[in-house]
Amino acid sequence: MSAFLRVENLTHIYPGKIKALESINLEIGEGEVVAVLGRNGSGKTTLVKHFNGLLKPTKGNVWIGDMNAKKHSVAKLSAKVGYVFQNSNHQTFLPSVEQELRYGCENIGLDEETIQERVERVTELFQLEDILETNPFDLNSTQRKEVGMASILAIEPKVIVLDEPTTGQDHAGSERIKEVITMLKEQGHIVILVTHDMQLVGELDCRVVVISNGKKLADGAAREVFKDKAMLKEASLEPPQVMTLAEQLTSFGVNDHVLTVEEMIKEYKRVKKLDINKQLQTS
Amino acid sequence: MNSMYVQGNSFLHQLDPRTKILFVFSIILFVFLFYDPMFQFLVTVSLLPIVFLSGLTTPYLKTVKFMFLLVFLIITVHGLYNPMGDVTKVTWQLTENLSFKHDALIYGAVMSFRILSIGTATLLFVMSTHPSDLANALVKWKVPHAVAFMILSTFQLIPIIGREAKVIMEAQQARCLDVKANMIQRVKHLIPLFAPLFITSFMRVHQMSQVLECRGFSSTGPKTSLREMTIGFRDYAFLTAIALFALAAITLRAVVGGTLLPITDFVLMSALIGIWIVCSIYFFDFLWKSVRKKVV
Repeated sequence: MSAFLRVENLTHIYPGKIKALESINLEIGEGEVVAVLGRNGSGKTTLVKHFNGLLKPTKGNVWIGDMNAKKHSVAKLSAKVGYVFQNSNHQTFLPSVEQELRYGCENIGLDEETIQERVERVTELFQLEDILETNPFDLNSTQRKEVGMASILAIEPKVIVLDEPTTGQDHAGSERIKEVITMLKEQGHIVILVTHDMQLVGELDCRVVVISNGKKLADGAAREVFKDKAMLKEASLEPPQVMTLAEQLTSFGVNDHVLTVEEMIKEYKRVKKLDINKQLQTS
Repeated sequence: MNSMYVQGNSFLHQLDPRTKILFVFSIILFVFLFYDPMFQFLVTVSLLPIVFLSGLTTPYLKTVKFMFLLVFLIITVHGLYNPMGDVTKVTWQLTENLSFKHDALIYGAVMSFRILSIGTATLLFVMSTHPSDLANALVKWKVPHAVAFMILSTFQLIPIIGREAKVIMEAQQARCLDVKANMIQRVKHLIPLFAPLFITSFMRVHQMSQVLECRGFSSTGPKTSLREMTIGFRDYAFLTAIALFALAAITLRAVVGGTLLPITDFVLMSALIGIWIVCSIYFFDFLWKSVRKKVV
């Protein structure tokens, strides 16, 4: 069976003949988490905006299941591809959180019972019970972001695009977003992140697609992609700090196959144990 | 691009904004002094060489089409339905009950050319004046700095709000809002589009006021400017020319009166058909471009 989300030879040229994407090919299957990385203006957002039809390909095709994104409206595609914008202020307009959560479901014409059920589910997921009656603009930015994300998840799209989900979030907010991503992955959703947060990418240990000047430079597991130093330099990317640390310590026996702080601690303990054993043997 | 300003180094670009403001006012004075379509037409046409010499032809032609739509409606609707003057004096009988009346057509033509000439002069001003220079000019005319800045920031905020509106539209579409629905639905959809736009705009303005305060906006005393404007020889020459024209026009008005030459049916028909022809050129150009876009 072919992948749920397929990008075939996608080229996008903005008015004024600005080439933003060039011959991108991509296949993303169910349950995959993909981080799209690249510097600002590299074409990341242009790429993901094709998934729910906000942009239409100049050349090539984007398939969402059996739907060609070229031929369907954004409203229709949005039921399958949820897009969480970076600035949640852009989508908030209703006087209470609950109404915000219901809005997308009402637009796709769900019945009252289903809407209620979905609202309850996302409320529980983001622990929004206490603020359901609050005006979203009275919330802090972390909560507002969560409401924005919850309102998209209530539509239950198969694919979820998160644009800079952790920017401006406090630690607890980032942790919750990480948990939600992991949970969505387990439920078989496709999660696509556009991000500069390398620590998040490392901790999710996900697939990484690197875009630079509108071209796909790399596509693979974060662990492998982050080892290609020449490519990272070309795309102006830095691997997670802990990975750089591990690489600096390889001469001490540390394995550079490290992506997260937990892995680094484990690695440190292993090396330390080896060291003690060695000392014991020599004495 | 922050406003309609088109960069250039022409004679008009080099004039002080204050000279150009006086120029626009003098054009307004000219066209309101007389009630004669021929005269108004001449004023409009005499502005066109300035448009060409300032290198503003393309942006001018792009913008003036909206004015032509208005002018087309004014001359046609007034000519047909305005009951002013002698309604028995008919210029063009279309059907038994529908005709272009002489006096109504004069009114329509005068109004149309007034709009075109004032519009052209204003466009010349806006397209050749950097917004900052306008603000400086106002400050030199003793307009309070805060008021001048308000006018300047309006120019800058409009395109920013435009971009924001586009993002909001996309964000709401991502929540399954069908923006291509029927008219009634679309009117309902204005709320999800405008509510966030207003809120974010107010937030932006509030933030901007704080940013300005942090950089000493409300400090008292004289302020200096990066772009200094001085009135020089060419401004005086231009202003003298305007003054001479104004003097001549006022004398003419006092001696001859509001109408310079007898207005014949031929003049009125030429005005009407001329405006129709220009509008249809714009219309066919628009059609051609839409068709080509669909094909591509």
